[in-house]
Amino acid sequence: MAEVALSGVTKRFRTVTAVDGLDLTVADGEFLVLLGPTGAGKTTTLRLVAGLERADSGTVRIGGHDVTTLDPSSRDVAFVFQQYSLYPHLTAYDNLAFPLRSPARRVPEAEISQRIEEIATMLRIAGKLQNRATQLSGGEMQRVAIGRALVRRPSIYLMDEPLSSLDAKLRADLRLELKRIQGELGATVLYVTHDQTEAMTMANRIGVIENGRLIQVGTPREIYTEPRNVYVATRLGQPAINLLPAGLVPNGAVPAGARTVGARTEHFRIKKAAGDAAVGRVEWIEHLGDQNHLHVAVGDQKIVTLVDPDARLERGDGISLALVDPLYFDAAGNRIRGGG
Amino acid sequence: MTETSAKASIADRVAEATPPTVARRVRSLSDRAIAWLFISPTIALLLAINIFPLFWTIYLSFTSYKANRPNAPIVWLGTTHYENILSDPDIWHSMQVTAHFVFWTVAIETVLGFALAYLIDRRFRGHAFWTTVILIPMMLSPAVVGNFWKFIYQPQIGLFNYAITFFTGGDPAAFQMLGEVSLAPWAIVLVDVWMWTPYVMLICLAGLRSIPDYIYEAAEVDRASRWRQFWSITVPMALPFIMLAVLFRGIENFKMFDMVNLLTGGGPGSTTETASITLKREAFESWKTGYSSALAIILFVAVFGLANIYVKALNRVKQR
Repeated sequence: MAEVALSGVTKRFRTVTAVDGLDLTVADGEFLVLLGPTGAGKTTTLRLVAGLERADSGTVRIGGHDVTTLDPSSRDVAFVFQQYSLYPHLTAYDNLAFPLRSPARRVPEAEISQRIEEIATMLRIAGKLQNRATQLSGGEMQRVAIGRALVRRPSIYLMDEPLSSLDAKLRADLRLELKRIQGELGATVLYVTHDQTEAMTMANRIGVIENGRLIQVGTPREIYTEPRNVYVATRLGQPAINLLPAGLVPNGAVPAGARTVGARTEHFRIKKAAGDAAVGRVEWIEHLGDQNHLHVAVGDQKIVTLVDPDARLERGDGISLALVDPLYFDAAGNRIRGGG
Repeated sequence: MTETSAKASIADRVAEATPPTVARRVRSLSDRAIAWLFISPTIALLLAINIFPLFWTIYLSFTSYKANRPNAPIVWLGTTHYENILSDPDIWHSMQVTAHFVFWTVAIETVLGFALAYLIDRRFRGHAFWTTVILIPMMLSPAVVGNFWKFIYQPQIGLFNYAITFFTGGDPAAFQMLGEVSLAPWAIVLVDVWMWTPYVMLICLAGLRSIPDYIYEAAEVDRASRWRQFWSITVPMALPFIMLAVLFRGIENFKMFDMVNLLTGGGPGSTTETASITLKREAFESWKTGYSSALAIILFVAVFGLANIYVKALNRVKQR
């Protein structure tokens, strides 16, 4: 395991700048998640660390060594792809053994089988080792693909949305397992996803990325409660944060320069109201079982928030709204502290 | 118009759009009967020009029938023709010629075709243009190819001898590709390779293009060398396609007639006389119809049997 550091890394594809002067350090033993929408440059960043892409400028260091110009095979990294990148004509066992059988490594066959058994047990695929890759289910294939990274002891594990092609149940299971295994191995992981749940639950730190630039890095809690700007704020939270013009909904002192108020569910105080006290009107209620999604219209603005299923609100009801400690953003979308 | 029409059988719907007299007859038919009605012309045609001649040939192969003497009485000979054919050294010779031709053409075309596909798959500048250029020989008629290679092989004025002696020195007329016992079998192999390597390349290219890039990237991260990637990813994953190309070329060349007949006509002597040239000679020059029918059946069974064994192997590879 080792620290991985990118400094001033830029990568262009013809006219598109995929990664733009990126600085990022993944500490030894850290689980760092890169979060961002499709096309933000997350995967390119990962491929730059792996050596599958060459940086146009800047340096990539792994364990203190400059690896910017090295081939993937000389970098000592393991990569889990979004697709099940198994060798289809090999068994699960041979797939797991593939990286260890590299002539560059010379791992004795006895040690190979011992390591594979260990990892297979960890990933709960021990019973499937003799199956051909094509005879495995989607979840099993991705476990083998993850296992193929884990059997090695690389400096860093690079994972490119490894869970995105799995169904919801399996995704939740593997999310927990991956985090547990990472803890057990003390592994350094750079993990790319656009799924905020994965980011929140697995990361030691989250890096939010936009148009190839790193906008903010911090613990999941920091990113959630102290977003640097509107973009970061909209990455986390379910339902998504409501962005309202300042002054639309009554609240305490609005700091000077605030144009936009970012209001999450926990910032709202909602009551049923009638007459002049009714600021908004309930447009729709989505029943999710344990919670309800409440769609509210305030003038032309739509607000989506969570309410307790016990709240006796119905479609068409007038409600009063108040905000407690919301987030404030200036005209450029940057966060302004204070208010209250 | 109502819900009944939605559930109506094909017969009912056909009947609705048909004059009443015809409709009455159609309405009594089941969907299955109508399906049979539609495919019956094709089946009749198949029976008339494929199935019947096959069985007629099998019958003739046991008789003394000669097509140029249709009025002579047909004598039942039992398995005499088969016994004669299988113990005839000339037939075995033509089988050996065929085997030599099939083996070498398929082997060379597979290696060259795969190598070309591997190079084209690199997607260098202009690879689409070169793919088209490489495919041209395949698009020509075998008759045209046979005729112009005859000119190319011509010892005095042909390009082939000129080109060879340009590099080696010596007299262009000193050797004849089509006229010498030691050279003629290779002359026809060369023409077939020239014409059909592009075809093998095309199939191999489809196989190579079907391997996703991320498998190679995964292998690269796993520290597999180019050599190891080639043998543990490229070859196994393209193998079903390569085998398919071998099957097609093998069957095709087992039946080889047109090109060889134009180039050498089986000569010199009988050095390039493939089984189908023997067959044509026995059937339409010696007019031994019964005898050649038996030979045709033997060839058919051989190709059919070999192809079947091969397809089984192919399916096993595909299932891996």
